[in-house]
Amino acid sequence: MEQLISTIPALPIVSAILTQLLSVRLGRRVAWLSVTATSITFALTVVILALHLAGVAGDPVSTSHDWGVLLNDPLSAIMGVLIVGISLIVHLYSVRYMAEEPGYARFFVLLDLMTAALLVMVSAGDLVTLIVAWHVIGVLLYFLLGHDMRRQSPFRYAFWTLFTYRIGDVALIVAAAILYHAYDTWSLTEMFSRIQTSPEVPGFMGMTALEAAAVFLALAAFARSAQFFLHNWLPYTMDGPTPVSALMHAGIVNAGGFLINRFAPVFVNAGDVLHVLFIVGLVTAVAGSVLMLTQNDIKKSLGYSTMGQMGFMIMECGVGAFSLAIYHLIAHGLFKGTLFLGAGGVINAARRDDGVPKDDLYTFVIERRPARRRPPWLMMAVITLVVPAVVLGLAHWLVSQEFFQKQGAMVLLFFGWVTGAQLIFATYRMRTEHTGRLFTLVLSSFAVVVVGYTLIAHAFELFLYPDAAFRDQMHTASSFNVVWFDIIVILTTIVIVLGWLFTYYAEQNGKRANRLRGRAWLIFYALISREFYLADIYAWLSRALLRTAKSLNIWLRWA
Amino acid sequence: MSYVMLAVGGLFLPLFPLSMLFNLLYARLRNPVLRATVLLAWPQIGLTIIFASGITVPGWLHTWAVLTSLLYGLRALVLREVSLWTSFVGTSAWALLWILYGNGASPVQMQLFSLGISAPLVMMAFLIAGLERRFGAAYLGLYGGLAHSLPRFTGVLVIVVLAVIATPMFPTFFAMLSMIIKSLPTTPVVAVGIGIVWLLWSWAGARLLQGLITGPQQLAVADLGQANTWLYVVVLAGLMLSGVYWMGTLP
Repeated sequence: MEQLISTIPALPIVSAILTQLLSVRLGRRVAWLSVTATSITFALTVVILALHLAGVAGDPVSTSHDWGVLLNDPLSAIMGVLIVGISLIVHLYSVRYMAEEPGYARFFVLLDLMTAALLVMVSAGDLVTLIVAWHVIGVLLYFLLGHDMRRQSPFRYAFWTLFTYRIGDVALIVAAAILYHAYDTWSLTEMFSRIQTSPEVPGFMGMTALEAAAVFLALAAFARSAQFFLHNWLPYTMDGPTPVSALMHAGIVNAGGFLINRFAPVFVNAGDVLHVLFIVGLVTAVAGSVLMLTQNDIKKSLGYSTMGQMGFMIMECGVGAFSLAIYHLIAHGLFKGTLFLGAGGVINAARRDDGVPKDDLYTFVIERRPARRRPPWLMMAVITLVVPAVVLGLAHWLVSQEFFQKQGAMVLLFFGWVTGAQLIFATYRMRTEHTGRLFTLVLSSFAVVVVGYTLIAHAFELFLYPDAAFRDQMHTASSFNVVWFDIIVILTTIVIVLGWLFTYYAEQNGKRANRLRGRAWLIFYALISREFYLADIYAWLSRALLRTAKSLNIWLRWA
Repeated sequence: MSYVMLAVGGLFLPLFPLSMLFNLLYARLRNPVLRATVLLAWPQIGLTIIFASGITVPGWLHTWAVLTSLLYGLRALVLREVSLWTSFVGTSAWALLWILYGNGASPVQMQLFSLGISAPLVMMAFLIAGLERRFGAAYLGLYGGLAHSLPRFTGVLVIVVLAVIATPMFPTFFAMLSMIIKSLPTTPVVAVGIGIVWLLWSWAGARLLQGLITGPQQLAVADLGQANTWLYVVVLAGLMLSGVYWMGTLP
């Protein structure tokens, strides 16, 4: 077992070295060496996951040093399958996609090294190994994004990524230093067991060591997962090769969620830091979604979509649903990877043939024929409000009868209810000829998604966090004060209802909107289309810093 | 006496404004072997002096060392002359050795860290000589496109720059890690300052690479020979291994 765990990250490294050394002799065929190694690595990760599912637990693998320890736990097993699975698809896709590009062998070398670094990151069993892998990923991503060295622009945007990632690296190092000084060990397993016995070690500025460490860990996660204020690099990295975009959006940017899960024992003992995660995640989810809707460039739109999803992932951690965040990052990774890799092919195919079947379902869903009469609004209002609540409630009750006791579950239920209600409301407004058929389709889809999501999320929770006491601790730690909880729920409800009313009013009045509101709308649109002016502010700050450096050099005579 | 020794130490483990003397001297050197010797020997002399005199480092000196390091890290951002870039980043790195000294690092550990910091700078000095021989100057934005005209040279240059800016698993990485870990409990502001210096180095390194290796191919010149490439690879691999096995020892 120990050899197997060490072999998994070692294989891509060996493949990278061989690919580089044999690239002249084998030419373009060298890519298949890399693909083969990744396929074997994938098979090994699947074996490890299967062993975990079968209940065969392994020991951590260690070297003679204090660091270099690899963990063999459910989290590393499941993340390993995701990473190598996506990497394998990206490898296969790149064999032909990158064939015309210069630096073909270099691309596969970097892909292999990235796979190895990601595997080491998810299985790191000590702080130093984690820092090393975390740091190396940023550097490798910089060179992957800037693969086309004939042009300056990919490098410029890759640098934004590198710099933001380096902010996260420094934050992670500071967090590691705090944890090391507080618990006198580099080993994560040892540290987590010490945290459970003495969580109140003093730290800095009135915070406990765990609170201080959690703040810096959160910052590291925010930088990696493009949370608001640290998100600007994400939509601008589309100048890199498409396979790199797929790998980045599917397997790298979601590392923030992994980090929070890995340090779950720190976060559950870190006071209000989980609430900060919730708020930052919420703001990011809203900002990312709004920015996504206003883009006219499909790739930038996908970038902001990822930002919104990462916001949801961090928000889930904030409400104590750590395992749900892992499920979310896996699901998002798979669908976003598919979108990136499939986008080019779909566009090409659509140019030849729209591919839309002229069948009954198409005419029903797309070519809607408005009904002459609407169903009674009272009945629809009841359905809109009650049905999502019933579906969500039943699905959660199926997996856990005490879910009403968990505030985090209630928050997620609330958001689920809002989404469901909005879906039914939108369906009602479609005014289709066959209302019954459309509602049956929509409601059964909603029920399948909710029940599936709930069951899988529950299975993930049991797999990743088998200790029931720790699961309870996670939910308790994320609970808000009841007054604050009520205030947040009421405020959110008001915002959502106002949003619905605003949309309804705007649609009813159409062009009759008054001039003042039109002006406010324009200002809002300018703010959104300029992406909250954050890129401008950062550009201004960096130019000011460079001007200062230049002036200093002149004053000090370049000495 | 101790202030005199501090000043002498501050010349060789450069503290601003004494650091200006080193940079003026380095700018006058043209021979790569001489440059390499200075880069290797300069901080070692400083370490020998401060260990021989056994001076105690006052608290304010930690802040001064970080400020010096920040100053040179910042100024390195806009440099286009690569040789000057090397000496500025070196100054920025060596100044931080005061923090290790102040936190009670052993002479052997400090000499190893200092060697680990100097070694990639020495390699830079030789690469710069290679650029000057080929193009007449080692200057950012002057020619660019090295990735296409000199692929082997570029590969080596990229890895050497990564070693200079403290990328894992090079000794510089472990030196920076050790400095942050050691200074955090007593002087958290200094630890954060070291983190910012690290950020500035990354920025400076990225600007250097962007100015040299990207862009369309400009000039047709001879690439680094295979033997020389292997020599660089072996030295870099040795540096990495030394980083892991000698300097990767944690506190």
